[in-house]
Amino acid sequence: MSTIKEYLTQDHSRCDELFANMEDMAAKSIESAKEAYDEFARETERHFQMEERVMFFEFEQKTGMTQGPTAMMRHEHAQMRNLIAEMGKAIEAKDKDKFFGNSETLMILMQQHNMKEEQMLYTMAQQHLSAESDRIVDMMQSMIVE
Amino acid sequence: MDFDGLSVDQAPPISAPIRFFVTAPLFAVLAGILILFSDVAVLSSRFSTHTIAITHALSVGFLSFVMFGALLQMLPVLAGVRISKVDLVAKSSYAFMLVGTLSMIFGLWFDISKLILLSSLLLGSGFLILIISMLIALKGVVNVTASVRAIITGLIFALLITLMGMHLLSSYGIGKFSDLHLLFANIHSVWAVFGFAGVLIIGVAFHVLPMFYVAPRFKKFCKQKVVWLVTSGLLLWLFLNIFIESYSTIGKIWVALFFWAFSTTVYLKLNARRRKVSDITVWYWRSASIFMTLGTFAWAINDFFDEKYIVIVSILIGGGFILSIMSGMLYKIVPFLVWFHLNAKGYMSIPTMNDMISKKLAKAQFFLFILSLIGFIVSFFIPNILPLFAVTFIISMAILEYNIVIPILIYAKIIKTKPDFDMSMFEMKVEK
Repeated sequence: MSTIKEYLTQDHSRCDELFANMEDMAAKSIESAKEAYDEFARETERHFQMEERVMFFEFEQKTGMTQGPTAMMRHEHAQMRNLIAEMGKAIEAKDKDKFFGNSETLMILMQQHNMKEEQMLYTMAQQHLSAESDRIVDMMQSMIVE
Repeated sequence: MDFDGLSVDQAPPISAPIRFFVTAPLFAVLAGILILFSDVAVLSSRFSTHTIAITHALSVGFLSFVMFGALLQMLPVLAGVRISKVDLVAKSSYAFMLVGTLSMIFGLWFDISKLILLSSLLLGSGFLILIISMLIALKGVVNVTASVRAIITGLIFALLITLMGMHLLSSYGIGKFSDLHLLFANIHSVWAVFGFAGVLIIGVAFHVLPMFYVAPRFKKFCKQKVVWLVTSGLLLWLFLNIFIESYSTIGKIWVALFFWAFSTTVYLKLNARRRKVSDITVWYWRSASIFMTLGTFAWAINDFFDEKYIVIVSILIGGGFILSIMSGMLYKIVPFLVWFHLNAKGYMSIPTMNDMISKKLAKAQFFLFILSLIGFIVSFFIPNILPLFAVTFIISMAILEYNIVIPILIYAKIIKTKPDFDMSMFEMKVEK
Protein backbone atom coordinates (compact mmCIF):
# COMPACT_ATOMS: atom_id res chain seq x y z
CA MET A 1 0.00 0.00 0.00
CA SER A 2 1.23 3.53 -0.71
CA THR A 3 2.31 5.78 2.12
CA ILE A 4 0.27 8.80 3.19
CA LYS A 5 2.66 11.04 1.30
CA GLU A 6 2.54 8.97 -1.89
CA TYR A 7 -1.21 8.55 -1.79
CA LEU A 8 -2.04 12.23 -1.33
CA THR A 9 0.66 13.40 -3.75
CA GLN A 10 -0.76 11.11 -6.42
CA ASP A 11 -4.19 12.50 -5.66
CA HIS A 12 -2.87 16.02 -6.31
CA SER A 13 -1.74 14.91 -9.78
CA ARG A 14 -5.13 13.33 -10.40
CA CYS A 15 -6.89 16.59 -9.49
CA ASP A 16 -4.47 18.49 -11.76
CA GLU A 17 -5.44 16.22 -14.65
CA LEU A 18 -9.12 16.88 -13.98
CA PHE A 19 -8.39 20.58 -13.80
CA ALA A 20 -6.62 20.51 -17.18
CA ASN A 21 -9.47 18.51 -18.65
CA MET A 22 -12.02 21.04 -17.36
CA GLU A 23 -10.06 23.95 -18.87
CA ASP A 24 -9.83 22.09 -22.19
CA MET A 25 -13.57 21.70 -22.29
CA ALA A 26 -14.17 25.31 -21.27
CA ALA A 27 -11.81 26.53 -23.97
CA LYS A 28 -13.92 24.70 -26.55
CA SER A 29 -17.18 26.04 -25.18
CA ILE A 30 -18.10 27.16 -21.71
CA GLU A 31 -21.42 25.30 -21.83
CA SER A 32 -19.76 21.95 -22.43
CA ALA A 33 -17.48 22.35 -19.39
CA LYS A 34 -20.22 21.72 -16.85
CA GLU A 35 -19.66 18.00 -16.56
CA ALA A 36 -15.86 18.29 -16.38
CA TYR A 37 -16.22 21.08 -13.84
CA ASP A 38 -18.51 18.96 -11.68
CA GLU A 39 -16.03 16.11 -11.74
CA PHE A 40 -13.11 18.37 -10.83
CA ALA A 41 -15.07 20.11 -8.06
CA ARG A 42 -16.28 16.80 -6.64
CA GLU A 43 -12.88 15.13 -6.63
CA THR A 44 -11.11 18.18 -5.23
CA GLU A 45 -13.67 18.38 -2.44
CA ARG A 46 -13.03 14.72 -1.77
CA HIS A 47 -9.30 15.43 -1.52
CA PHE A 48 -9.92 18.32 0.90
CA GLN A 49 -12.12 16.15 3.09
CA MET A 50 -9.68 13.23 3.07
CA GLU A 51 -7.19 15.64 4.56
CA GLU A 52 -9.43 17.60 6.88
CA ARG A 53 -11.46 14.72 8.28
CA VAL A 54 -8.83 12.00 8.29
CA MET A 55 -5.19 12.94 7.85
CA PHE A 56 -5.16 16.41 9.44
CA PHE A 57 -7.31 15.08 12.25
CA GLU A 58 -4.93 12.21 12.96
CA PHE A 59 -1.93 14.51 12.68
CA GLU A 60 -3.44 16.98 15.13
CA GLN A 61 -4.31 14.21 17.57
CA LYS A 62 -0.81 12.82 17.42
CA THR A 63 1.16 16.05 17.62
CA GLY A 64 -1.27 18.21 19.57
CA MET A 65 -0.73 20.92 16.98
CA THR A 66 -4.08 22.33 16.01
CA GLN A 67 -2.99 25.86 15.21
CA GLY A 68 0.04 24.92 13.11
CA PRO A 69 0.36 23.98 9.47
CA THR A 70 -2.97 22.13 9.34
CA ALA A 71 -4.84 25.27 10.36
CA MET A 72 -3.16 27.13 7.53
CA MET A 73 -3.98 24.38 5.06
CA ARG A 74 -7.61 24.40 6.17
CA HIS A 75 -7.67 28.14 5.58
CA GLU A 76 -6.29 27.67 2.06
CA HIS A 77 -8.90 24.98 1.40
CA ALA A 78 -11.53 27.59 2.23
CA GLN A 79 -9.96 30.01 -0.24
CA MET A 80 -9.94 27.36 -2.95
CA ARG A 81 -13.52 26.24 -2.27
CA ASN A 82 -14.52 29.84 -2.77
CA LEU A 83 -12.75 30.09 -6.14
CA ILE A 84 -14.17 26.77 -7.29
CA ALA A 85 -17.67 28.03 -6.43
CA GLU A 86 -16.97 31.21 -8.41
CA MET A 87 -15.96 29.10 -11.41
CA GLY A 88 -19.24 27.21 -11.14
CA LYS A 89 -21.13 30.50 -11.16
CA ALA A 90 -19.15 31.64 -14.23
CA ILE A 91 -20.20 28.46 -16.07
CA GLU A 92 -23.83 29.06 -15.10
CA ALA A 93 -23.55 32.62 -16.40
CA LYS A 94 -21.64 31.42 -19.53
CA ASP A 95 -18.96 33.96 -18.69
CA LYS A 96 -15.76 32.56 -20.17
CA ASP A 97 -13.50 35.43 -19.06
CA LYS A 98 -14.64 35.16 -15.48
CA PHE A 99 -14.18 31.39 -15.58
CA PHE A 100 -10.60 31.58 -16.84
CA GLY A 101 -9.75 34.50 -14.57
CA ASN A 102 -10.75 32.39 -11.58
CA SER A 103 -9.23 29.17 -12.90
CA GLU A 104 -5.87 30.88 -13.39
CA THR A 105 -5.92 32.20 -9.84
CA LEU A 106 -7.04 28.82 -8.51
CA MET A 107 -4.26 27.06 -10.39
CA ILE A 108 -1.51 29.12 -8.79
CA LEU A 109 -3.08 29.04 -5.35
CA MET A 110 -3.62 25.29 -5.64
CA GLN A 111 -0.05 24.61 -6.78
CA GLN A 112 1.45 26.81 -4.10
CA HIS A 113 -0.70 24.95 -1.60
CA ASN A 114 0.30 21.53 -3.02
CA MET A 115 3.97 22.46 -2.87
CA LYS A 116 3.67 23.34 0.83
CA GLU A 117 1.83 20.11 1.56
CA GLU A 118 4.14 17.87 -0.43
CA GLN A 119 7.25 19.67 0.73
CA MET A 120 6.36 20.01 4.39
CA LEU A 121 3.15 18.66 5.76
CA TYR A 122 3.06 15.23 4.11
CA THR A 123 6.67 14.65 5.05
CA MET A 124 5.91 15.57 8.65
CA ALA A 125 2.76 13.46 8.62
CA GLN A 126 4.63 10.49 7.26
CA GLN A 127 7.20 10.82 10.03
CA HIS A 128 4.65 11.12 12.83
CA LEU A 129 2.08 8.68 11.56
CA SER A 130 4.26 6.06 9.90
CA ALA A 131 3.04 3.27 12.18
CA GLU A 132 -0.56 4.03 11.30
CA SER A 133 0.09 4.83 7.65
CA ASP A 134 -1.84 1.89 6.16
CA ARG A 135 -4.83 2.43 8.38
CA ILE A 136 -4.98 6.13 7.53
CA VAL A 137 -4.67 5.58 3.78
CA ASP A 138 -7.39 2.95 4.05
CA MET A 139 -9.66 5.36 5.91
CA MET A 140 -9.06 8.06 3.30
CA GLN A 141 -9.86 5.67 0.47
CA SER A 142 -13.09 4.48 2.02
CA MET A 143 -14.25 7.89 3.27
CA ILE A 144 -17.67 9.06 2.13
CA VAL A 145 -17.75 12.73 1.16
CA GLU A 146 -20.12 14.80 3.28
CA MET B 1 11.14 18.07 16.02
CA ASP B 2 11.23 21.84 15.96
CA PHE B 3 7.87 22.96 14.74
CA ASP B 4 8.70 26.63 14.79
CA GLY B 5 10.94 26.08 11.82
CA LEU B 6 8.13 24.44 9.94
CA SER B 7 6.19 27.58 9.35
CA VAL B 8 4.24 26.80 6.25
CA ASP B 9 2.15 29.81 7.16
CA GLN B 10 4.82 32.45 6.87
CA ALA B 11 4.36 34.49 3.75
CA PRO B 12 6.57 37.58 3.56
CA PRO B 13 4.71 40.90 3.37
CA ILE B 14 3.71 41.78 -0.18
CA SER B 15 6.01 44.79 -0.19
CA ALA B 16 9.12 42.59 0.23
CA PRO B 17 9.14 41.02 -3.25
CA ILE B 18 7.08 43.72 -4.98
CA ARG B 19 9.60 46.53 -4.51
CA PHE B 20 12.20 44.43 -6.31
CA PHE B 21 9.78 43.57 -9.11
CA VAL B 22 8.65 47.14 -9.73
CA THR B 23 12.19 48.44 -9.92
CA ALA B 24 13.54 45.77 -12.29
CA PRO B 25 11.98 46.90 -15.61
CA LEU B 26 13.03 50.49 -14.87
CA PHE B 27 16.66 49.37 -14.94
CA ALA B 28 15.99 47.66 -18.26
CA VAL B 29 14.56 50.95 -19.59
CA LEU B 30 17.71 52.69 -18.36
CA ALA B 31 19.84 50.05 -20.14
CA GLY B 32 17.87 50.73 -23.33
CA ILE B 33 18.49 54.47 -23.02
CA LEU B 34 22.20 53.86 -22.51
CA ILE B 35 22.29 51.63 -25.60
CA LEU B 36 20.54 54.39 -27.53
CA PHE B 37 23.27 56.87 -26.61
CA SER B 38 26.16 54.46 -27.08
CA ASP B 39 28.84 54.31 -29.66
CA VAL B 40 28.28 50.98 -31.40
CA ALA B 41 31.99 50.33 -31.82
CA VAL B 42 32.51 50.64 -28.06
CA LEU B 43 29.69 48.20 -27.33
CA SER B 44 31.21 45.47 -29.46
CA SER B 45 33.98 45.14 -26.87
CA ARG B 46 32.81 43.29 -23.77
CA PHE B 47 35.42 44.95 -21.57
CA SER B 48 34.59 48.61 -22.31
CA THR B 49 33.18 50.34 -19.24
CA HIS B 50 30.09 51.36 -21.22
CA THR B 51 29.37 47.75 -22.12
CA ILE B 52 29.89 46.71 -18.50
CA ALA B 53 27.52 49.46 -17.32
CA ILE B 54 24.80 48.33 -19.75
CA THR B 55 25.16 44.61 -19.09
CA HIS B 56 24.96 45.24 -15.34
CA ALA B 57 21.96 47.53 -15.65
CA LEU B 58 20.33 44.40 -17.08
CA SER B 59 22.01 41.63 -15.11
CA VAL B 60 22.07 43.28 -11.69
CA GLY B 61 19.31 45.86 -12.17
CA PHE B 62 16.78 43.70 -13.92
CA LEU B 63 17.64 40.03 -13.53
CA SER B 64 18.97 39.88 -9.99
CA PHE B 65 16.20 42.17 -8.72
CA VAL B 66 13.59 39.81 -10.15
CA MET B 67 15.42 36.67 -9.02
CA PHE B 68 15.94 37.79 -5.45
CA GLY B 69 12.44 39.25 -5.22
CA ALA B 70 11.08 35.90 -6.35
CA LEU B 71 13.32 33.96 -3.96
CA LEU B 72 12.07 36.06 -1.04
CA GLN B 73 8.57 35.01 -1.98
CA MET B 74 9.23 31.42 -2.99
CA LEU B 75 11.59 30.10 -0.31
CA PRO B 76 8.77 29.46 2.15
CA VAL B 77 6.81 27.63 -0.56
CA LEU B 78 9.54 25.75 -2.41
CA ALA B 79 11.74 24.94 0.56
CA GLY B 80 9.36 25.38 3.48
CA VAL B 81 11.71 27.73 5.30
CA ARG B 82 11.39 31.24 6.52
CA ILE B 83 13.97 33.99 6.29
CA SER B 84 14.26 35.55 9.70
CA LYS B 85 13.49 39.29 9.84
CA VAL B 86 12.49 39.05 6.19
CA ASP B 87 11.13 42.59 6.05
CA LEU B 88 14.36 44.08 7.36
CA VAL B 89 16.43 41.89 5.02
CA ALA B 90 14.29 42.91 2.03
CA LYS B 91 14.27 46.61 2.87
CA SER B 92 17.95 46.99 3.66
CA SER B 93 19.21 44.88 0.76
CA TYR B 94 16.88 46.69 -1.62
CA ALA B 95 18.19 50.08 -0.54
CA PHE B 96 21.81 48.94 -0.89
CA MET B 97 21.21 47.32 -4.25
CA LEU B 98 19.21 50.21 -5.67
CA VAL B 99 21.80 52.86 -4.82
CA GLY B 100 24.62 50.41 -5.55
CA THR B 101 23.40 49.58 -9.05
CA LEU B 102 22.82 53.23 -9.92
CA SER B 103 26.29 54.16 -8.61
CA MET B 104 27.84 51.36 -10.60
CA ILE B 105 26.12 52.30 -13.85
CA PHE B 106 26.83 56.01 -13.60
CA GLY B 107 30.24 55.54 -12.02
CA LEU B 108 31.40 53.36 -14.90
CA TRP B 109 29.62 55.45 -17.54
CA PHE B 110 31.11 58.76 -16.46
CA ASP B 111 34.27 57.25 -15.01
CA ILE B 112 33.83 58.54 -11.44
CA SER B 113 36.06 56.40 -9.25
CA LYS B 114 34.44 57.32 -5.91
CA LEU B 115 31.07 56.29 -7.26
CA ILE B 116 32.49 52.99 -8.49
CA LEU B 117 34.08 52.26 -5.11
CA LEU B 118 30.83 53.14 -3.37
CA SER B 119 28.93 50.80 -5.68
CA SER B 120 31.29 47.93 -4.87
CA LEU B 121 30.57 48.37 -1.18
CA LEU B 122 26.82 48.86 -1.55
CA LEU B 123 26.19 46.09 -4.07
CA GLY B 124 28.37 43.74 -2.07
CA SER B 125 26.43 44.51 1.12
CA GLY B 126 23.03 44.22 -0.57
CA PHE B 127 23.78 40.88 -2.21
CA LEU B 128 25.54 39.43 0.83
CA ILE B 129 22.64 40.31 3.13
CA LEU B 130 20.23 38.49 0.83
CA ILE B 131 22.42 35.51 0.01
CA ILE B 132 23.59 34.86 3.56
CA SER B 133 20.18 35.22 5.15
CA MET B 134 18.73 32.86 2.54
CA LEU B 135 21.49 30.30 3.02
CA ILE B 136 21.00 30.46 6.80
CA ALA B 137 17.27 29.91 6.32
CA LEU B 138 17.95 26.98 3.99
CA LYS B 139 19.92 25.23 6.71
CA GLY B 140 16.57 24.39 8.27
CA VAL B 141 15.12 22.57 5.27
CA VAL B 142 13.42 19.35 6.32
CA ASN B 143 12.80 17.83 2.90
CA VAL B 144 15.72 18.45 0.54
CA THR B 145 14.27 18.22 -2.96
CA ALA B 146 15.99 18.70 -6.33
CA SER B 147 14.74 22.29 -6.40
CA VAL B 148 16.12 23.03 -2.95
CA ARG B 149 19.52 21.62 -3.93
CA ALA B 150 19.49 23.80 -7.05
CA ILE B 151 18.60 26.91 -5.05
CA ILE B 152 21.40 26.26 -2.55
CA THR B 153 23.89 25.65 -5.39
CA GLY B 154 22.76 28.80 -7.18
CA LEU B 155 23.14 30.84 -3.99
CA ILE B 156 26.66 29.55 -3.37
CA PHE B 157 27.60 30.60 -6.89
CA ALA B 158 25.92 33.95 -6.19
CA LEU B 159 28.07 34.34 -3.07
CA LEU B 160 31.27 33.72 -5.05
CA ILE B 161 30.35 35.98 -7.96
CA THR B 162 29.40 38.75 -5.55
CA LEU B 163 32.85 38.60 -3.94
CA MET B 164 34.52 38.54 -7.36
CA GLY B 165 32.29 41.37 -8.55
CA MET B 166 33.26 43.50 -5.55
CA HIS B 167 36.92 42.91 -6.31
CA LEU B 168 36.50 43.70 -10.01
CA LEU B 169 34.57 46.88 -9.33
CA SER B 170 37.14 48.05 -6.80
CA SER B 171 39.81 47.55 -9.47
CA TYR B 172 37.92 49.93 -11.74
CA GLY B 173 37.47 52.28 -8.81
CA ILE B 174 41.15 52.56 -7.98
CA GLY B 175 42.26 52.11 -11.59
CA LYS B 176 44.66 49.28 -10.81
CA PHE B 177 44.14 45.92 -12.41
CA SER B 178 45.78 42.69 -11.34
CA ASP B 179 47.19 40.25 -13.88
CA LEU B 180 44.26 38.02 -13.16
CA HIS B 181 41.67 40.73 -13.86
CA LEU B 182 40.44 39.28 -17.15
CA LEU B 183 40.39 35.77 -15.77
CA PHE B 184 38.32 36.94 -12.78
CA ALA B 185 35.98 38.86 -15.07
CA ASN B 186 35.52 35.76 -17.18
CA ILE B 187 34.80 33.49 -14.21
CA HIS B 188 32.49 36.13 -12.73
CA SER B 189 30.37 36.34 -15.88
CA VAL B 190 30.28 32.64 -16.76
CA TRP B 191 29.40 31.60 -13.20
CA ALA B 192 26.79 34.36 -12.94
CA VAL B 193 25.02 33.24 -16.08
CA PHE B 194 25.27 29.46 -15.72
CA GLY B 195 26.04 28.85 -12.06
CA PHE B 196 23.65 31.34 -10.51
CA ALA B 197 20.88 32.25 -12.99
CA GLY B 198 21.04 29.03 -14.99
CA VAL B 199 21.03 26.62 -12.07
CA LEU B 200 18.32 28.59 -10.29
CA ILE B 201 16.10 28.52 -13.37
CA ILE B 202 16.64 24.78 -13.79
CA GLY B 203 15.74 24.19 -10.15
CA VAL B 204 12.58 26.25 -10.31
CA ALA B 205 11.56 24.70 -13.65
CA PHE B 206 11.53 21.24 -12.06
CA HIS B 207 8.60 22.42 -9.97
CA VAL B 208 6.96 25.10 -12.04
CA LEU B 209 6.46 23.31 -15.36
CA PRO B 210 4.77 20.17 -14.04
CA MET B 211 2.74 22.14 -11.53
CA PHE B 212 1.50 25.23 -13.33
CA TYR B 213 1.15 23.75 -16.80
CA VAL B 214 0.41 20.16 -15.79
CA ALA B 215 3.40 19.09 -17.92
CA PRO B 216 5.02 15.66 -17.50
CA ARG B 217 7.38 15.56 -14.55
CA PHE B 218 11.14 15.74 -15.13
CA LYS B 219 12.90 12.39 -15.05
CA LYS B 220 14.56 11.39 -11.79
CA PHE B 221 17.96 11.37 -13.49
CA CYS B 222 17.40 14.92 -14.66
CA LYS B 223 16.30 16.15 -11.24
CA GLN B 224 19.09 14.41 -9.36
CA LYS B 225 22.02 14.87 -11.68
CA VAL B 226 21.70 17.94 -13.90
CA VAL B 227 22.60 20.54 -11.29
CA TRP B 228 25.53 18.43 -10.17
CA LEU B 229 26.69 17.93 -13.78
CA VAL B 230 26.45 21.64 -14.56
CA THR B 231 28.34 22.50 -11.38
CA SER B 232 31.10 20.00 -12.14
CA GLY B 233 31.27 21.37 -15.69
CA LEU B 234 31.72 24.89 -14.35
CA LEU B 235 34.47 23.71 -12.00
CA LEU B 236 36.17 21.80 -14.80
CA TRP B 237 35.98 24.91 -16.97
CA LEU B 238 37.54 26.93 -14.13
CA PHE B 239 40.33 24.40 -13.67
CA LEU B 240 41.11 24.27 -17.40
CA ASN B 241 40.94 28.04 -17.67
CA ILE B 242 43.56 28.47 -14.96
CA PHE B 243 45.90 25.61 -15.80
CA ILE B 244 45.45 24.50 -19.42
CA GLU B 245 43.66 27.36 -21.07
CA SER B 246 43.80 25.92 -24.55
CA TYR B 247 41.49 23.12 -23.40
CA SER B 248 38.93 25.32 -21.65
CA THR B 249 36.52 24.83 -24.55
CA ILE B 250 35.95 21.29 -23.28
CA GLY B 251 34.50 22.71 -20.05
CA LYS B 252 32.33 25.08 -22.05
CA ILE B 253 30.98 22.34 -24.29
CA TRP B 254 30.24 20.24 -21.20
CA VAL B 255 28.17 23.03 -19.61
CA ALA B 256 26.58 24.03 -22.93
CA LEU B 257 25.52 20.44 -23.57
CA PHE B 258 23.47 20.22 -20.38
CA PHE B 259 21.85 23.60 -20.86
CA TRP B 260 20.98 22.64 -24.41
CA ALA B 261 19.47 19.38 -23.12
CA PHE B 262 17.56 21.35 -20.51
CA SER B 263 16.18 23.84 -23.07
CA THR B 264 15.06 21.05 -25.37
CA THR B 265 13.44 19.24 -22.46
CA VAL B 266 11.55 22.39 -21.49
CA TYR B 267 10.26 22.76 -25.03
CA LEU B 268 9.15 19.13 -25.24
CA LYS B 269 7.53 19.25 -21.80
CA LEU B 270 5.55 22.30 -22.84
CA ASN B 271 4.39 20.48 -25.96
CA ALA B 272 3.27 17.57 -23.83
CA ARG B 273 1.57 19.69 -21.17
CA ARG B 274 -1.94 18.67 -20.24
CA ARG B 275 -3.04 22.23 -19.63
CA LYS B 276 -3.44 23.44 -23.17
CA VAL B 277 -4.40 27.02 -22.31
CA SER B 278 -1.63 29.18 -23.74
CA ASP B 279 -0.70 32.50 -22.23
CA ILE B 280 2.14 34.97 -22.29
CA THR B 281 4.16 32.94 -19.78
CA VAL B 282 4.09 29.87 -22.03
CA TRP B 283 5.33 32.02 -24.91
CA TYR B 284 8.15 33.30 -22.74
CA TRP B 285 9.17 29.76 -21.71
CA ARG B 286 9.19 28.78 -25.35
CA SER B 287 11.21 31.78 -26.50
CA ALA B 288 13.62 31.15 -23.63
CA SER B 289 14.24 27.57 -24.67
CA ILE B 290 14.75 28.49 -28.34
CA PHE B 291 17.15 31.33 -27.53
CA MET B 292 19.03 29.16 -25.03
CA THR B 293 19.49 26.40 -27.60
CA LEU B 294 20.96 28.91 -30.03
CA GLY B 295 22.91 30.55 -27.22
CA THR B 296 24.61 27.41 -25.97
CA PHE B 297 25.75 26.53 -29.50
CA ALA B 298 26.93 30.07 -30.16
CA TRP B 299 28.82 30.10 -26.84
CA ALA B 300 30.60 26.82 -27.49
CA ILE B 301 31.42 27.69 -31.12
CA ASN B 302 32.47 31.25 -30.25
CA ASP B 303 35.81 29.95 -28.97
CA PHE B 304 36.76 28.85 -32.47
CA PHE B 305 36.21 32.41 -33.70
CA ASP B 306 38.46 34.05 -31.16
CA GLU B 307 35.45 35.09 -29.02
CA LYS B 308 34.40 37.51 -31.76
CA TYR B 309 30.72 36.81 -31.28
CA ILE B 310 30.53 37.07 -27.48
CA VAL B 311 28.07 39.97 -27.79
CA ILE B 312 25.68 37.77 -29.75
CA VAL B 313 26.09 35.01 -27.18
CA SER B 314 25.21 37.46 -24.40
CA ILE B 315 22.12 38.66 -26.24
CA LEU B 316 20.94 35.10 -26.87
CA ILE B 317 21.55 33.82 -23.35
CA GLY B 318 21.21 36.92 -21.16
CA GLY B 319 18.35 38.47 -23.10
CA GLY B 320 16.75 35.54 -24.87
CA PHE B 321 16.93 33.01 -22.06
CA ILE B 322 17.18 34.69 -18.68
CA LEU B 323 15.28 37.90 -19.40
CA SER B 324 12.50 35.95 -21.15
CA ILE B 325 11.94 33.71 -18.16
CA MET B 326 12.09 36.56 -15.66
CA SER B 327 9.58 38.63 -17.65
CA GLY B 328 7.25 35.68 -17.99
CA MET B 329 7.47 35.07 -14.27
CA LEU B 330 6.57 38.67 -13.45
CA TYR B 331 3.34 38.25 -15.40
CA LYS B 332 2.27 35.39 -13.18
CA ILE B 333 3.68 36.28 -9.81
CA VAL B 334 2.66 39.95 -9.49
CA PRO B 335 -1.10 39.60 -10.12
CA PHE B 336 -1.13 36.44 -8.03
CA LEU B 337 0.51 38.16 -5.07
CA VAL B 338 -2.00 40.98 -5.29
CA TRP B 339 -4.89 38.53 -5.30
CA PHE B 340 -3.35 36.38 -2.57
CA HIS B 341 -2.63 39.16 -0.11
CA LEU B 342 -6.00 40.86 -0.64
CA ASN B 343 -7.81 37.56 -0.23
CA ALA B 344 -5.85 36.78 2.93
CA LYS B 345 -6.93 40.12 4.34
CA GLY B 346 -10.56 39.24 3.80
CA TYR B 347 -11.33 41.02 0.54
CA MET B 348 -13.65 38.87 -1.53
CA SER B 349 -14.51 40.98 -4.55
CA ILE B 350 -11.10 41.20 -6.16
CA PRO B 351 -10.55 41.36 -9.92
CA THR B 352 -9.31 38.02 -11.22
CA MET B 353 -5.67 37.70 -12.28
CA ASN B 354 -6.68 37.90 -15.92
CA ASP B 355 -8.54 41.16 -15.33
CA MET B 356 -5.45 42.80 -13.86
CA ILE B 357 -3.20 42.69 -16.92
CA SER B 358 -4.40 43.43 -20.43
CA LYS B 359 -3.65 40.43 -22.65
CA LYS B 360 -3.18 42.68 -25.67
CA LEU B 361 -0.57 44.79 -23.93
CA ALA B 362 1.23 41.71 -22.67
CA LYS B 363 1.38 40.34 -26.22
CA ALA B 364 2.57 43.69 -27.57
CA GLN B 365 5.28 43.72 -24.93
CA PHE B 366 6.37 40.20 -25.82
CA PHE B 367 6.60 40.88 -29.56
CA LEU B 368 8.48 44.14 -29.07
CA PHE B 369 10.90 42.37 -26.78
CA ILE B 370 11.57 39.52 -29.23
CA LEU B 371 11.86 42.01 -32.08
CA SER B 372 14.43 43.99 -30.06
CA LEU B 373 16.53 40.89 -29.38
CA ILE B 374 16.58 39.90 -33.04
CA GLY B 375 17.30 43.54 -33.91
CA PHE B 376 20.24 43.64 -31.47
CA ILE B 377 21.74 40.56 -33.12
CA VAL B 378 21.30 41.98 -36.62
CA SER B 379 22.78 45.28 -35.42
CA PHE B 380 25.99 43.45 -34.64
CA PHE B 381 26.45 43.15 -38.39
CA ILE B 382 24.63 46.36 -39.41
CA PRO B 383 25.46 48.80 -36.59
CA ASN B 384 23.46 51.72 -37.99
CA ILE B 385 20.17 50.15 -37.07
CA LEU B 386 20.99 49.67 -33.36
CA PRO B 387 19.20 52.86 -32.16
CA LEU B 388 15.95 51.68 -33.69
CA PHE B 389 16.04 48.50 -31.64
CA ALA B 390 17.17 50.34 -28.54
CA VAL B 391 13.89 52.24 -28.88
CA THR B 392 11.75 49.11 -29.33
CA PHE B 393 13.50 47.62 -26.29
CA ILE B 394 12.79 50.72 -24.20
CA ILE B 395 9.13 50.65 -25.22
CA SER B 396 8.82 46.95 -24.47
CA MET B 397 10.31 47.37 -21.00
CA ALA B 398 8.17 50.43 -20.31
CA ILE B 399 5.09 48.37 -21.18
CA LEU B 400 6.32 45.58 -18.89
CA GLU B 401 6.59 48.13 -16.09
CA TYR B 402 3.10 49.43 -16.83
CA ASN B 403 1.70 45.89 -16.91
CA ILE B 404 3.00 45.05 -13.46
CA VAL B 405 2.25 48.43 -11.90
CA ILE B 406 -1.46 48.16 -12.77
CA PRO B 407 -2.08 45.17 -10.44
CA ILE B 408 -0.20 46.99 -7.69
CA LEU B 409 -2.37 50.07 -8.15
CA ILE B 410 -5.42 47.82 -7.93
CA TYR B 411 -4.02 46.49 -4.64
CA ALA B 412 -3.40 50.00 -3.33
CA LYS B 413 -6.93 51.06 -4.24
CA ILE B 414 -8.69 48.05 -2.73
CA ILE B 415 -6.66 48.04 0.46
CA LYS B 416 -8.04 51.51 1.27
CA THR B 417 -11.58 50.10 1.34
CA LYS B 418 -13.09 47.96 4.08
CA PRO B 419 -12.81 44.17 3.70
CA ASP B 420 -16.10 42.58 2.65
CA PHE B 421 -15.63 39.67 4.98
CA ASP B 422 -14.20 39.53 8.46
CA MET B 423 -11.42 36.98 8.32
CA SER B 424 -9.78 38.00 11.57
CA MET B 425 -10.77 34.62 12.98
CA PHE B 426 -8.30 32.93 10.69
CA GLU B 427 -5.97 35.80 10.09
CA MET B 428 -2.88 34.76 8.16
CA LYS B 429 0.40 35.20 9.88
CA VAL B 430 1.83 37.67 7.40
CA GLU B 431 4.80 39.40 8.96
CA LYS B 432 4.33 43.06 9.50
